[in-house]
Amino acid sequence: MPKIIFINADGATREVVASTGQSVMEAALAAGVSGIVAECNGAAACATCHCYFDSNAGCTGEIGEHENEMLDFAASERTADSRLSCQVRVVAEMEGMTIRVPSVQ
Amino acid sequence: MSAVPAIADVSYDALLEDPYPIFRRVRDTAPAVFVAAANLTLVTRFDDIMRIERDSATYSSVNPASLVNKVMGPTFMRKDGAEHAAGRKAVEPAFRPGIIKEHWAPKFAAICERLIDKLVEAGEADLYSALAAPMASLSLMEMIGFKEIAWETLALWSQSLIDGAGNYSRDAEIDRKAMEAGAGIDTAIEAVLDHHRAHSNPSILSAMVHADPPMPIEEIRANIKVIIGGGLNEPRDAILTLTLGLLADPDQKESVLAKPELWPTAFEEAVRWISPIGMYPRRVAREVDLSGVTLPEGLQIGLCVGAANRDDRRFADPDRFDIFRAKQSHLAFGAGPHFCAGTWVSRQTVGRIMVPMLFERLANLRLRDDTPPLVRGWVFRGPISLPVRWDA
Repeated sequence: MPKIIFINADGATREVVASTGQSVMEAALAAGVSGIVAECNGAAACATCHCYFDSNAGCTGEIGEHENEMLDFAASERTADSRLSCQVRVVAEMEGMTIRVPSVQ
Repeated sequence: MSAVPAIADVSYDALLEDPYPIFRRVRDTAPAVFVAAANLTLVTRFDDIMRIERDSATYSSVNPASLVNKVMGPTFMRKDGAEHAAGRKAVEPAFRPGIIKEHWAPKFAAICERLIDKLVEAGEADLYSALAAPMASLSLMEMIGFKEIAWETLALWSQSLIDGAGNYSRDAEIDRKAMEAGAGIDTAIEAVLDHHRAHSNPSILSAMVHADPPMPIEEIRANIKVIIGGGLNEPRDAILTLTLGLLADPDQKESVLAKPELWPTAFEEAVRWISPIGMYPRRVAREVDLSGVTLPEGLQIGLCVGAANRDDRRFADPDRFDIFRAKQSHLAFGAGPHFCAGTWVSRQTVGRIMVPMLFERLANLRLRDDTPPLVRGWVFRGPISLPVRWDA
């Protein structure tokens, strides 16, 4: 049950205790983190759960081909840290990790 | 908790003509209301529909009584969970963002160019029949991977399937037409399937036969029917609705033409304002409390996204087409696992290519004072006639 810290574009932070195995999007939604819309509920079809993860963290898993292409459609700028949070599984190594939520989805 | 209230004093014609006052009344009455004219319990509030679409265990897409299955066969639109996901994943390659940009967008742009070439000298047209219907039909045909079928034929199949799927009065002639369309589609699939097996390509049929495992033929037939029934009128209506919204408001039109980067926003506002799919069904799989109303097990409910997209709890002045309203996600493409597979195709093509091209090539495009546009429908809604003039 790692503790993840979400930081919104306006600087507001939110600590969420997530369950391993669920997606980061599911953990955020269950905790009511604002700024994550997740219209398609995890099908990697809508690009509205876009978040910035530390790309050097080493615990966010490989980016899939479909996710990779879908990120080009995200409403906020895509960076090397960009992922669709519905495609990233919560793992124990995420304890204390910060994830930035973009200003628009 | 209370029981589902009923509204018995609205007519079906009133729903077809202008569902929005009725949607508003339902929304203000209760989270779920049985509307006798529709013979269905309607859910109209934005937050309720969002919640429902995140809970497919309670609100199922599987429906043994659905006419969709009878008319089309075992489609993934009427499945849940892993079964739905497998069908969805099989067609996904045809809808990949990269494929849309590199393959479909230029193809659809070429179709649009050709259609506009043909009508540009006339100076006037009904954009429904002269542009939007053939555009949607020809581009869907390309995406499916059909060859040498008239756009009118695919359009007729699509309408016949839609009518058949909604034929709750069991009209024999409607049934016959739907079955005839189904047979025509099966033949058209048969005619190209070997080609797609032998030559892998970006089309939907190719994706289906090259999926791992390949989609069984009866599912290919059913899912292609769903894609024809549900993939033609939406882009057609989105093209017309966006065009109508801008033509009816010269200030907003001028803003978009002056700042082309506003096109995507204008597209989103158009499908929020008059959502091409206004309602789709779900079945209550176990008794549940929806925002204080008890929905019994087995109840058929209609999720009115056309109503949710005008929910004044979420959108200020919701009946107004306003491309400058505060950005807020809408439900025109649905939500949850069944989120529209064609979302990005329409965003990239209708909103960025087709309608902009229309305004660019038809100079001084305007509505006609003598023949106003007609908008109709509630399950599916859009302009059924959009007579315009331009400077030829």
